[in-house]
Amino acid sequence: MNFNKNIGEGNLAEKMCITVMSGSIDRLIGMAVLTSAAVSMDMEVEIFLQLWGVYAFKKDVIKQNMNLSEFNELGEKVASRLKELKIPPWYEMLREAKETGRVKIYACSAAASIWNVKKEDLEFVDEIIGAGEWIEKMSDAKINLFI
Amino acid sequence: MSMSEEELRKLKPDKVVDARGTSCPGPLLAAKRAISEVPVGGILEVLSSDPGTKRDLPIWAKKVGHEFLGVIEEPGYWRIFVRRKK
Repeated sequence: MNFNKNIGEGNLAEKMCITVMSGSIDRLIGMAVLTSAAVSMDMEVEIFLQLWGVYAFKKDVIKQNMNLSEFNELGEKVASRLKELKIPPWYEMLREAKETGRVKIYACSAAASIWNVKKEDLEFVDEIIGAGEWIEKMSDAKINLFI
Repeated sequence: MSMSEEELRKLKPDKVVDARGTSCPGPLLAAKRAISEVPVGGILEVLSSDPGTKRDLPIWAKKVGHEFLGVIEEPGYWRIFVRRKK
């Protein structure tokens, strides 16, 4: 059995896929930074939002969210450093990346049902898709990340 | 092979993008956006105060097919030169 047949055939796309389970802003900042860098490097980026990821992209949540995944006691310090360094909020970074390059954002259909949201209720989301389609999209990407 | 500092200082860039004060990957994205405004064969100069940029831009230029010309270090920032090749 050849698990690496795509690599062998050299047909992986210049594409980075990020599966976003987390809705914590520290992780979303990391996602936005890498998306922006990949767009700069002329790579296509596809993002698949799962449970908390979908929640964090809700139009009524996206700007209010202050949830951190770790070191919560340092939250205020980090926030003031980000401001001092003029680092834009993660969603502004993502917006700029999406305007500049090829970035597609998908929401998991099951998570959309859990939050009872449609595409229109979510910022930046292009389509609501199933996990099978996402597996297919990930399978030809040079870079695959899960946050 | 990058150019000497003396050669770099004599260059007349077609466009200068000042990305000082923005953090990585801001200057990289600024370079990507600005290169399309430089004629093929022309020179883009990027000013960055982020120490990651002087390493990122040669890698970026190689990947996307432009020519990295070199870096001049100034107090608190770097001047990075790239020639648009396509």
